[in-house]
Amino acid sequence: MIRVERAGACDLVMDLGRPGWGALGVPAGGAADAAALAAANRLVGNDTAAAGLEITLSGPLLFFPAGAVVALTGARFAATRSSGAAVAWNETLLLAAGESLDLGPAQDGCRAWLAVRGGLMVPPLMGSRSTFLPAGFGGHQGRALQAGDQLAVSPASGGVRLMRAQPPAAVPDLPLRVVPGPQAGQFDDAGLAAFFGGRYRVDTASDRRGVRLKGPAVTHARRALASQGVLPGAIQVPPDGQPIILGWDGPVTGGYPVIAAVIATDLPRLAQRRPGDTVHFSTLEVEIARTLAVVDWTIEELG
Amino acid sequence: MLPPKPGQAAAQPAWRWVSERGLQLVTAAATLPRYEWLLSLKFPEIEDIIPADGSLLLVLRRGAAVSDALQAALDAPLAEALAKPGVLHEIAVRYGGAAGPDLAALAEQAGMNAAAYVDCHAAVEFTVAFLGFQPGFPYLGGLPPALHAPRRASPRVRVPAGSVAIGGSYSGIYPAAGPGGWHLIGRTPAELFDPQRAAPALLQPGDRVRFVPL
Repeated sequence: MIRVERAGACDLVMDLGRPGWGALGVPAGGAADAAALAAANRLVGNDTAAAGLEITLSGPLLFFPAGAVVALTGARFAATRSSGAAVAWNETLLLAAGESLDLGPAQDGCRAWLAVRGGLMVPPLMGSRSTFLPAGFGGHQGRALQAGDQLAVSPASGGVRLMRAQPPAAVPDLPLRVVPGPQAGQFDDAGLAAFFGGRYRVDTASDRRGVRLKGPAVTHARRALASQGVLPGAIQVPPDGQPIILGWDGPVTGGYPVIAAVIATDLPRLAQRRPGDTVHFSTLEVEIARTLAVVDWTIEELG
Repeated sequence: MLPPKPGQAAAQPAWRWVSERGLQLVTAAATLPRYEWLLSLKFPEIEDIIPADGSLLLVLRRGAAVSDALQAALDAPLAEALAKPGVLHEIAVRYGGAAGPDLAALAEQAGMNAAAYVDCHAAVEFTVAFLGFQPGFPYLGGLPPALHAPRRASPRVRVPAGSVAIGGSYSGIYPAAGPGGWHLIGRTPAELFDPQRAAPALLQPGDRVRFVPL
């Protein structure tokens, strides 16, 4: 069991999501960086699909009365343990009975993932334990964690191995790679130049539904558009010309023109942009994007 | 997108990649039969199929290639009839008053009184064209043109759950409370979406809906 002594800005129970329900208006959702959650799970000996926590911008204070085996991946947060031991990222951590883990503000990104050996035991809904905040279901009571919450942990068997993970190399300030969207042809030269030449600031109104950008207005012919299916990464341009990158919990259909789509390989980097950060874009042919291999984490046992 | 081949029938569906996993198929009036048909073929490389207004979005599993069988299905001519008619649902509605604050204004725009507007709305057998916006929110096709109305200029911050609404050429029902830009004409006690149910959404694409005034 884990007791939440203090909640973070938005701590959400997440697994790899619930794909396959788009026709009912339910997006796949799940961890914003599935590979990072999967790696954290492997570090504690879990199945990669076990439920953990997605922690955004500022983390919780968690108390482990019976101890736990945990691992953190993703952005570095200020972090301390009540035992005084260091909090390493991308490593198996052994917490003694009665220890607490205090996660403060994010230091170099936006989101971190915490896996607990056994996995968080919340009831699966529609095939997943992920929280879907916009409709208030899944995860822990359909909401972000609050102080006083108690999270049950599933039992685990077998020995504990200490491991370390190597995340894919991160290059700061690289453009987000996009493929042309279905309405790219409706944008005039000025609109396309603004979008591809401009730098955009991530607005504070961003969340898992969408990353709202502020910057050079993207002009387009305002034609009535029939609602179309959309995926996370699709970049919609509403009438005010300020693009919105649809996020992991975004709608499954949209009625604004889509100028481009961030490739799935780059969505984990989008997950680390926080309000005030800038983003810019570069294009890639979809045929090339389709050949990009999934960048994997390497995991080694600590000798 | 594949270039159209010369000599192909006009009914040939057009499809194109909209991301490296998303394939948009233009289906026009054949959206529902094509959705039903593609679902029935159970392609292992497809993770999800999302119907929308005149198109389908096929979501491929990460790293999956388009098989010859899927390629052939994408290029197959369109059928415009459903294999079987969808389930008919009767949805009870309290029209007007506090439950439907926009009814009077909509009726006036349509040049009829509120009772005639309600009669007209309740006389239609709607078809669920697709779901979107919120889990379980149905876009109901079949609204008589006299009842069409552009969305509100400024969306409401909070629309009550169960609100029956008009947006453009569609009628819809808000499954949960939240912001919304459609005109509200009534409210139903029906529970449109519950993730705990075996079938979480009350209405499926292709289902038929008739509104019954309370």
